[in-house]
Amino acid sequence: MAGLAAVAAATLALSACSGDNGGGSGDGTVEMTLWQNSTTGPGQQFWKDAIAAFEKENTGVTIKMQSVQNEDMDGKLQTALNAGDPPDIFLQRGGGKMTAMVNAGQLMDLTDRISDDVRGEISEGSFAAETYQDKVWAMPLSVLPGGFFYSQDAFDKAGISDTPTTIDDLKSDVESLKGTGIAPIALGAKDAWPAAHWYYFFAIRECSPKVIEETGDSKDFSDDCWTRAAEDLTDFAAIKPFNEGFLTTAAQQGAGSSAGLVANRKAAMELMGAWDPGVIASLTPDEKPLPDLAWFPFPEISGGDGEPGSMMGGVDGYSCSAQAPKECADFLNFIAGSEQQTKYYEAFQSPPVNSVAQKSVKEPYLQQILEAYNSAPFVSQWLDTVLGQNVGNALNVAVVDMLAGGSDPQKFIAAVNAAGAQG
Amino acid sequence: MTVREMSVSDATGLAAHAGGGDTPPPARPRSRRRRGLGWSGRLEVLLLAGPAVIFFVGFVILPVLMAAYYGFFRWSGFGPATDFVGLKNYITIFSDPNFQSALLHNAFIVVMSLVLQGPIAILLALLLNRKMRGQSVIRILIFVPYVIAEVVVGTGFSLLLSTNGAANGMLDKLGLGGLTQDWLADPSIAIWTLMAILTWKYVGFAVILFLAGLQGIPEELYEAAAIDGASYWQIQRQIALPLLAPTLRIWAFLSIIGALQLFDLVYIIWGQYVSSVAGTNTMAIYMVVTGRNAGNFGYGNAVAVVIFVISLIVALFYQRFVLRRDTAGAITERGVQ
Amino acid sequence: MTLVTAPPAEPRLRRAPKPKLPWGSPVVYFVALAVIALMLGPVIYIIIGGFRSNSAITVDPAGFPDPWNIDNYVGVITSGQFWGQVGNSTFVALATTIGAVALGIAASYVIARYSFKGRGFLYALFASGLMFPITVAITPLYIVIRSLGLMNTLPGIILPQIAFALPTTIIILVPFLRAIPDEIQEAASIDGCSRLGFFWRMVLPLAVPGVITVGILAFIGSWNAYLLPLFILNNESQFTLPLGVQAFSSQYSVDTARVLAFTSLSMLPALLFFSLFERRIVGGLTGAVKG
Repeated sequence: MAGLAAVAAATLALSACSGDNGGGSGDGTVEMTLWQNSTTGPGQQFWKDAIAAFEKENTGVTIKMQSVQNEDMDGKLQTALNAGDPPDIFLQRGGGKMTAMVNAGQLMDLTDRISDDVRGEISEGSFAAETYQDKVWAMPLSVLPGGFFYSQDAFDKAGISDTPTTIDDLKSDVESLKGTGIAPIALGAKDAWPAAHWYYFFAIRECSPKVIEETGDSKDFSDDCWTRAAEDLTDFAAIKPFNEGFLTTAAQQGAGSSAGLVANRKAAMELMGAWDPGVIASLTPDEKPLPDLAWFPFPEISGGDGEPGSMMGGVDGYSCSAQAPKECADFLNFIAGSEQQTKYYEAFQSPPVNSVAQKSVKEPYLQQILEAYNSAPFVSQWLDTVLGQNVGNALNVAVVDMLAGGSDPQKFIAAVNAAGAQG
Repeated sequence: MTVREMSVSDATGLAAHAGGGDTPPPARPRSRRRRGLGWSGRLEVLLLAGPAVIFFVGFVILPVLMAAYYGFFRWSGFGPATDFVGLKNYITIFSDPNFQSALLHNAFIVVMSLVLQGPIAILLALLLNRKMRGQSVIRILIFVPYVIAEVVVGTGFSLLLSTNGAANGMLDKLGLGGLTQDWLADPSIAIWTLMAILTWKYVGFAVILFLAGLQGIPEELYEAAAIDGASYWQIQRQIALPLLAPTLRIWAFLSIIGALQLFDLVYIIWGQYVSSVAGTNTMAIYMVVTGRNAGNFGYGNAVAVVIFVISLIVALFYQRFVLRRDTAGAITERGVQ
Repeated sequence: MTLVTAPPAEPRLRRAPKPKLPWGSPVVYFVALAVIALMLGPVIYIIIGGFRSNSAITVDPAGFPDPWNIDNYVGVITSGQFWGQVGNSTFVALATTIGAVALGIAASYVIARYSFKGRGFLYALFASGLMFPITVAITPLYIVIRSLGLMNTLPGIILPQIAFALPTTIIILVPFLRAIPDEIQEAASIDGCSRLGFFWRMVLPLAVPGVITVGILAFIGSWNAYLLPLFILNNESQFTLPLGVQAFSSQYSVDTARVLAFTSLSMLPALLFFSLFERRIVGGLTGAVKG
């Protein structure tokens, strides 16, 4: 081990400026590195198994896996990329970060390397999330739309028979739930983005798809629909539907988070992306999935410009670095294939993008999510991804301010416009 | 003989010689050496200080200079920095009300840290300086908060102090439900919560430093005063405390600089967004929120430079007006050849 | 109020076995107890938290473990990774401490007792190292370490950490070293002792309290450092303890109870180090000055 480290160190020292690592060495063996963000559990196991299966089919190729904790991944990756020392295969968040990487020439263009099988089995919409300047820069693996995860038991106890289809329905359901002694809606506003998601959903109900795309480019929020969405949010928050102390509640960081509240039946529901069931499962008393977990999409509003049924969500994908060997694209095709995608879904409990794999999804709520997603007339990525990090971040801050009572819809729009003006 | 404020070596000169004060440099034929170090002296300086300087320049100064360079750019964080914006980042920083409020918070934290931790630590150090049974155990236990990583302290206090956390839960159980507060999110309380946590964490550091400083005071002084009939607390106040002053000043310096850099605890307990709502925003939090997290790495680096310059200015003032008595003569006149 | 009883004025016998320590006054113990209760309250909360489950902590934050769940602690103690990380952390922290103290005391001696142009600048150079938020400089530092070929190695962590520890070390040691009276130095040089010999034989023993203090601070600093190891180390067998916490965070969530158990155990070696050395923060100038 020490000898290997010494050789590696010497090699690195010699190639310090070229930054070339992992390239084929002419004798047919290829070594690649993979950085992923599951540090424990079935998620990590999925990657280990996938790597083993790929190595078996492709003799001469070895992949070394590095598990990096989710919160630390971005910083570590950015540092490695800028030092010219990146891993070959890594998690891609998309959005502004991906754009920046593309502009810096740090990603491999996958457009022509996607196999026909995979092209056929994965929808255009999923690829769209990983596309920039008409080229595909990452292989999508999982689609994670947002919606309400709720406890059927809690709804039954409150006498709610049908899931709400309009915001007014939701408001009256909230009142019924208040009577049962638990928090109607859990909100992890400490991390800001869960609160911002409420705004984004009101926005796609109020704003037409065209306006959303235009604002994504212009960063100008002067269209009236954005202000209406802010007003909707303050109206809704005024009935006090959220758990007490939502400003100091984290979204998912373990005990005491909003997911934890739902898992322990201290809150009836939360608006969250499709990764939530796994998180809730880890926080229940017996650490098993919540048996009565169910899902409904964000309710409609009256009078908005948005298309009913529109959805919003993120896409998890993996990219190859620009210096990676061509076997990297082979690996991405491999894990996007139906067999591996089925295993991915089983490990992560989240919807796969591969349509063949989607047929094996068993959980009723995941089936509902996929159905709603596949039939949605318009699917947007999370708005902070669409708007870019700068504006997205400012938006997050402004939403928290507004919910904390520190500002109103007018000030909110002004703050976001100011950030937008900076580009 | 009144024991005014003197330097430690003055005091030991006192103990060692019947006469008082600093013995003047003897007039010996060494005077030719006082004009500068000889080559052997220079060699020793190089040998002794060289390694430290090399390490420091290589691993700290160089990276810092490189990072400061990016402050003049608008940089997405990926690839080379190409968008030179000169001083624009700096202008934005100083005109941003969020930064201004963060600066005020830092100033408040600086002052309150000194005011809260200093007296408590001095008292504890004086109490623990005497030899008595259990002194080691007590010292260890007081030091425990400092040993725990900031990340863990943050996690623990989040659980304790969040609105549905253990502190409020405990108050409820004791029937004192009326005293429950929004310790973290209420702007009128949050900053005091932060000060309490900081005091908790760093008082041990101060105590250790003061204990070490107290060791430099010769026993003979205490004995002499005791023989003169002084009580324990009189001795502490009139001998130990003044002689502890140099250590106190160093501790204050470290505390001030540390308070200006405060980041980890606030970031973990309050999160980057709620900290500004709650009024516990610091400059370093502002740096991360508007820099790294917003994808404006150049701007974040500029904020870092601003923090550095502010710390430097404070340090220079401190050096000039407070540390002067310690360095007086040391840097200009004294220093044995 | 008790009067302090002056200990028998026989410093020369200090090396002889000490008589048993007297009890302090009850007031002192009372105050100490109150302070310790405040200090340890949150710590005990963290330790006890490790005995509960995440669900229990969410539902009843202020409650006692019921039942006492030892799985978290046992899981940590029996995991080979934990002990590997303890070993790595200990090695890195000891190396950092030795390096920082050695380089620091040498540089402090120069600043404290030599007189030359640029001495003030040297002191300011080291002091300025404390003033720049290092998180921002991590990418350039990464490049430096990489150019030295130290990526993914423990020395790649140790060497920069020595540099980081130098400012505090030097700032604390300079006044300690300066406090050594000139008379001693002159007496030594009269006896034919060179400056270096003086340093070796007299300064070091006299500066022990300061040296112990900066050693402890350097050790704790290295023990808790996570940013640099996070970026530099890719090989799990080399992880230090702060990185070990990663294993308890899955992609989207954190096993809080496990983390509490893990961190409660991680602080023990650092406390052990402290307890071994804090007794030695005694001595100093006593006995050194005799007429």
